Amino acid sequence: MATAEKPFIRQDGKDKVTGLGRYTADLDMTGMLQAKFRYSDHAHARITRIDTSNAKALPGVFAVITHEDVPDVRYGPFVQDRRLFAKHKVRYEGELVAAVAALTDEIAQRAVELIEVDYEPLEIVSDVEAALEPGAPLLHEDWASYGASEDVVREGNDCSRSTILKGDPDKGMAEADIVVKERYVADMSHAVPIEPHAVVAQWQGDRVTIWSSTQVPFIARSGVATTLELPEAHVRIVVPHLGGGFGGKCEFHYEAQVAALARVAQRPVRLVFSRREEFLAPDHRREGQVLELETGVRRDGSIVARRGRLILDNGAYSADAPFFPQLAAMMAAGPYKIENVFVDASLAYTNTTPSGSVRAPTAPQACWALEQHMDSVAGQLGMDPVEFRRRNIVKNGDEGPTRQVFEDIGAAETLERAVELIGYGKELTEDEAIGVAVGWWPSFGIASGAYVKINGDGSATIITGAQECGTGAVMALPLLAAEILGMEPESFSLLYQDTDAGPFDSGASGSQTTFNNGRAVMAAANDVREQLLDLAAEQLEANRDDLELKDGAVSVKGSPTKSVTIPELAEAAHGSTLLLGRGADAVPEMPASDAAGCTGRLGMESFLAPTFITHAVRCKVDRETGVVRVLEVAAVHESGRVLNPIGANGQVEGGVVMGIGMATLEGSLIGEDARQLNPHLLDYKLQTASDSPPIHIGWVDSPTKPGAGGPNGSKGIGEPPCVPTPGAIANAIAQVTGARVHQLPMTPARVWEAMQR
Amino acid sequence: MRYDATLNVNGRAYPVAIEPGRNLLSVLRGEVGLTGAKEGCDDSECGACMVLLDGQPVNSCSYLALQADGREIVTIEGLAGEDGQLHPLQQAFLDQGGVQCGFCTPGMLISAKALLDRNPSPDEDEIRLALSGNLCRCTGYSGIVRAVQAAATQR
Amino acid sequence: MSAQSYTAATSVDEALEAMAAGARPIAGGTDLVVGARGGKAPLPDALVAIHRVSELRGIREQDGGLVLGALATHADLVASSTVCELFTALADASAIVGSHATRNAGTIGGNVMNASPAMETGGPLICFDAIATLRSASGTRRVALADLLTGPGRTVAEPGELLTELAIPAPKDGTGSCYARLEYRRQMEIAIVGATAVVTLDGGTVRDARIAITALAPTIHRVAEAEQALNGSDASDAAVQAAADAAAGASRPISDVRGSADYRRAMAAVLTRRAISTAIARARGGRFPIPASPALHGAVNGGAP
Repeated sequence: MATAEKPFIRQDGKDKVTGLGRYTADLDMTGMLQAKFRYSDHAHARITRIDTSNAKALPGVFAVITHEDVPDVRYGPFVQDRRLFAKHKVRYEGELVAAVAALTDEIAQRAVELIEVDYEPLEIVSDVEAALEPGAPLLHEDWASYGASEDVVREGNDCSRSTILKGDPDKGMAEADIVVKERYVADMSHAVPIEPHAVVAQWQGDRVTIWSSTQVPFIARSGVATTLELPEAHVRIVVPHLGGGFGGKCEFHYEAQVAALARVAQRPVRLVFSRREEFLAPDHRREGQVLELETGVRRDGSIVARRGRLILDNGAYSADAPFFPQLAAMMAAGPYKIENVFVDASLAYTNTTPSGSVRAPTAPQACWALEQHMDSVAGQLGMDPVEFRRRNIVKNGDEGPTRQVFEDIGAAETLERAVELIGYGKELTEDEAIGVAVGWWPSFGIASGAYVKINGDGSATIITGAQECGTGAVMALPLLAAEILGMEPESFSLLYQDTDAGPFDSGASGSQTTFNNGRAVMAAANDVREQLLDLAAEQLEANRDDLELKDGAVSVKGSPTKSVTIPELAEAAHGSTLLLGRGADAVPEMPASDAAGCTGRLGMESFLAPTFITHAVRCKVDRETGVVRVLEVAAVHESGRVLNPIGANGQVEGGVVMGIGMATLEGSLIGEDARQLNPHLLDYKLQTASDSPPIHIGWVDSPTKPGAGGPNGSKGIGEPPCVPTPGAIANAIAQVTGARVHQLPMTPARVWEAMQR
Repeated sequence: MRYDATLNVNGRAYPVAIEPGRNLLSVLRGEVGLTGAKEGCDDSECGACMVLLDGQPVNSCSYLALQADGREIVTIEGLAGEDGQLHPLQQAFLDQGGVQCGFCTPGMLISAKALLDRNPSPDEDEIRLALSGNLCRCTGYSGIVRAVQAAATQR
Repeated sequence: MSAQSYTAATSVDEALEAMAAGARPIAGGTDLVVGARGGKAPLPDALVAIHRVSELRGIREQDGGLVLGALATHADLVASSTVCELFTALADASAIVGSHATRNAGTIGGNVMNASPAMETGGPLICFDAIATLRSASGTRRVALADLLTGPGRTVAEPGELLTELAIPAPKDGTGSCYARLEYRRQMEIAIVGATAVVTLDGGTVRDARIAITALAPTIHRVAEAEQALNGSDASDAAVQAAADAAAGASRPISDVRGSADYRRAMAAVLTRRAISTAIARARGGRFPIPASPALHGAVNGGAP
């Protein structure tokens, strides 16, 4: 692609480097009130009384609302287990009991404190294994009566259970020369976008406009419509610049509560979260996992069987998480040739903040465990860990865990390139080592739409429902349209961020923007291209089949003088039929699989256009303190075809550093009362610029077949970069110290403790 | 009680009347009307609110507004030239992939400017150390470091 | 934040007058304002800003030692060649406080009076025998730093007393020093375990050793047993190790999100040993980077290179 070679500067960049761009918290309106929430005082308790009268009486307070002031609706994408405000029970510390709108933050906070709530505390369930024990207190006593997707397998505190079965794992394990069984535990971590959540709502008559820092405006719209019982046409979601998301701003959050406050107050209302609230909020959290992995191998290094038992921490309510067990089961099976597989994964309700789709949900943790396990097995075999992977990694024609047959993949190539880039085998000091890990991740095929219109002067506008969260995915859409229309990307403006303007898109989630909306934009561009050619055929009095469109003009092949420019065509069109393209490409079909032996099937039994990744890291471990410094990373990705190198590299660089954070320091601890102990950036430590190493990036070009992937053979790119990093670091640590760290994050203290054993 | 003060922001004097407890960030974003500096945390850990105070980088969230009375403040909005010409650092952030979501960008650019003002040709590690008070979650810092290197070379 | 009144003093006398009337001083705000935002403690009702008081600024030499104005920032200390050469541990400590922004705004006076058991500069100031000058409307007194700090956030200073300067006497010839901190990240850290060593050599013999531990007890304090283990010794690895073990033995660490007590105790020995080794190397004239902590990551046997 010609455009792929050219560096591309994002359209929103100037707004951002000058500080003039507005984010949600920057919005102000005459008469605007400030919102504050009253959170639960317990992680698990029955509510016996709520009295808001003192709060309502406070001067400057315009609205105090509870569950009584909103429709009695339970909602959730897979299991309808949550409400806007707690009604009978609270189930985690961040649960909303009431909301206040007042003239100032200080008055709102004072009012929140004046709300009286009486509770009857209940036994706390914070351990996922204890939650699934028979006789454990149920978080949701009425779970069986909740609405839920038919395919979700539920039982008590197990909110969603999935199994993957292939071949005969028991027989395979019995035939193995060596069997290795290990247990790993991953603590919860967080998305931590630098912009905390913010929402502004304003009513005009019976319609509400909500400015929200959401990654998923259309999902937010349907959430507001469902919970406030409004038609979607009465709800408009607008997203100002979005200060990062990483999945923490997926799902539907607070738009309805703020809208409800604004309706009662009859004034615009703004909610801006503190960093602490950002940590307590639902679905901003990457779930904890307990993983038991067992692998049987032959002496030649071939894997004959794998078994896994996984328990994921759902937290108190479920948003996206019910499909995590199936996803995690696929991750535990891994991108390896294995004839016999059984993985059983559960999602346990606990009295902690609900888990959400944080960047590649389930994958970094499960990959961290599996890739350490792979190194352990290689160790038992006396085989080099890279060689062990080389013998088992999937190639074209191989079958995945559910007998999906892989086509056009480059997994093995990522492994070879990564070890080459890092210089695997080179001489290192005693306290340094290179660790390697392989990972994979699906693309998500979801319906998505866009329009392309040619303006009267020949410039163009893309109107899309897609949402930009910082990655640049929306910013890169003009590249795709420009190529089809023979125009420059700079000739396109973008209208997005507004549910009243663009057609549906599922938002900045699932690495799906380029993958799905890119195809929609291409379809819309092709639609308008046809219109341009029709018009040009008329104008040039030529046969339409003889025309070509390039460099901003349509000309007759072989007679370049017979030509009409796009601006000329646009001007002509504005005298008659306008040039308007619409696009909504068909979703690619899921690859065939044999999931007959699987249960809890929620769409992850095969991976659409899977990407493959190998990270190789060089680490230095202070063996006296357990402090790990990552000195260098080689990240090689097979992501089909790369469309926008500056954007793609940016995703890898950011993902790797997020992965380093997860590996070494990022973990939320909870106390006996199930409250988070470190909901602030002083003790939830992100990597700084000085902790971040040079990252060598490699791309394995392996485009998908037409119709099997994203635009021009591309695959999803945003989530995969954080997947194998923690596992690679873990393997480097184990090589330096001779001790494996079985808990994530691998903090200095845990590395040190592992060395003492 | 409110106190009168004059904040000199980006070369313009702003007379304000503010309570003693107000931090500089809230006054810049409120009374002064410049929302470029951001609030990203509660404990001075993220650097999104960074401004230059008499030429030195300061987290404006943890600085009393009244203490800035009469002093020179430069916010992100003051980096570009009066004609709108981008500062070399701003242009380099765009060229080198130093901007994704943009929320850390204002503080990051302020830190980078402070660095180049005191050390016009920093090496890579000096750049990384100088930017460590500004957290970025998108870029992994690579594009930002490249941008500062590029801007330093241009000077 | 609840502050009701504010005044900006231009002289120490003005500041003291305001303090006599109940105001609390504020300089860079890096502890006070951050603490108020984080909900640790509201801002005092009455504030007197002292950032304009020029007599509190600066670092000056006096009798071969130094006098640090209360408004000297961490950045000022690191920029002082005298601090780096004669009081190297103080430079090690000042250079790793927070970020550039914190080091520019944060002052030594505020740092000391905040009395955090995790403050970086505390150990070096105690080991260098720093004397704090406390002034109030009714008089002036001088207090050794070790006596000034009485607990987390607590000092012997009366409400009306302002710390105006810190005097550090000239070090003896043959002295080297180091402050070393356990660092999970390379920047933006808070001390989880810290150790200060100030070692004076006389030929091959340790004539005087000062060892203090940080974030390992309610106050930063010197460890006599550790100093005894070194004093009169030949500064051998064994003597250094004995001193480090004594420091760990004297620690009373807590378990919290930053680390368990066991881990902290073990790290007390590691960091103390590294600080002593580096101080000895510096006393012998060896050059070692400032700040020492980042360079000590993975130091084999904890020694200076």
